[in-house]
Amino acid sequence: MILIAHGIASRADLPIPEWLFAWAAAMVLIVSFIGLAVLWPQPKLQDGGWRPLPRALGRVLTSRPVEILCGAIGIALLVLVVYAGLAGVQSSSANFAPTFVYVVFWLGLVPLSVLFGDVFRAFNPWRALARGIAWLAKIPARGELPKPLPYPERLGYWPAAVGLICFAALELVATGRSKPENIAIATLVYSAATFVAMALYGVEAWCRRGEAFSVYFNLFSRMSVFERRDGALGLRKPLSGLPAFEPGPGIVAVLAVMIGAVTFDGAAEAPIWSRAAVDIADFFGDLGLSPAHALEAAFAIGLALGVLLVAGLYWLGTLGARSVGGGFGARELRWSFVHTLVPIALAYVAAHYFTLLLFQSQALAFLASDPLGDGSDLFGTADRGIDYTLIGSTATWYWQVAFVVGGHVMGLMLAHDRALVMYERPRQAVLSQCWMLLVMVLFTCLALWLLSQANA
Amino acid sequence: MIYVAHAGHWITTVAYFLPVIAFLAWLAVAQVRERRRNRG
Repeated sequence: MILIAHGIASRADLPIPEWLFAWAAAMVLIVSFIGLAVLWPQPKLQDGGWRPLPRALGRVLTSRPVEILCGAIGIALLVLVVYAGLAGVQSSSANFAPTFVYVVFWLGLVPLSVLFGDVFRAFNPWRALARGIAWLAKIPARGELPKPLPYPERLGYWPAAVGLICFAALELVATGRSKPENIAIATLVYSAATFVAMALYGVEAWCRRGEAFSVYFNLFSRMSVFERRDGALGLRKPLSGLPAFEPGPGIVAVLAVMIGAVTFDGAAEAPIWSRAAVDIADFFGDLGLSPAHALEAAFAIGLALGVLLVAGLYWLGTLGARSVGGGFGARELRWSFVHTLVPIALAYVAAHYFTLLLFQSQALAFLASDPLGDGSDLFGTADRGIDYTLIGSTATWYWQVAFVVGGHVMGLMLAHDRALVMYERPRQAVLSQCWMLLVMVLFTCLALWLLSQANA
Repeated sequence: MIYVAHAGHWITTVAYFLPVIAFLAWLAVAQVRERRRNRG
């Protein structure tokens, strides 16, 4: 079942070996790079060209009742996850919490953000609750509440990076990752930490830089054509939200976790990791850890290596770009091009979890009727199943290759556009982008190798 | 010896990353030429 859900059934009918797809993908990137150098002489994405939607539609979508309704839905789902996790049957497939958190929330919101903009901001239960509490607290206070502390600049996006790595560790490292009770407890702990941080630094400031999921989904939403600006909803050029992103300390770590966690999840299915994990777990077992904890330690090392690998490759790419001159500092280059990693993160998530989302999201039909797994049938859909014939393994592979190539071409476009703004000499801009192209080709080949390992 | 005998296990992995190796080699040569040109 899980094998099919991950789309790793055999792909015997491909016309060419899988590794040749990596060569073809690399060629597509190189041709795209040449095309960009020749046909894209001026920056096009730095100015989003935002224009408002028809007034009535924009006004309805950004109205206070819609905002309150979305927030209430978010809070209700948060409560349901915690309640189902604590009170429901402790089965990952029969309980609402695991599927909702790992599939619908974590994966499903990614395409929704890319298509419709920052959807999570509207449904964010922590933001909605904190704003509701602040509004209520103003009534007895008869006016304004004390101002929050200024958000420390040096903290930057580090809290978000820590939050994301903790979530990735829960999903990929913890042996009790699928136990609904553990998910509920983790949700409560994260909620408490978030409310404390929001009380200290303010709701919006924390959501902008510190709250892990707000930062995560906001980055993807910047690829969307929809953007809310000064309370009005409007349209902008595709991808143009990313160059406008304000980088800060910890942002490379956020992107490295986003890509590195998927990298590790893919590598964890490779035979080479299976053998290494046993050896590492044996080492920790010899130190006195229980078998479960020894395995967790091995997987934690694997996750850390995945994140460090991605951060290291990006760092090397920017170091190479620095070597062509232009007078830019290493950090300036890292921050200037970090937004180009967002489409790559999307490519990794889409390619790796495409079938999991497609199949496992169907479980919502029966989980909505029976969220606790106690045999109830609230909406008459408790007997629904999952249709695993929606897509075959060969078609899945082609989609995965398309996601990987498409994501990296978008990354190249963003990098090229930024280079045109930064470098005075076009030749220097192109040479600097050769290093970014190398990073993109490397990430592409790595992504396809990881996907192929799932079939090994 | 054992690596040669089991080449089938790792050679496909190398095949995946050949474009990266080839591109890196080209880039290194291009950069050296560029530097020489700038000096000249």
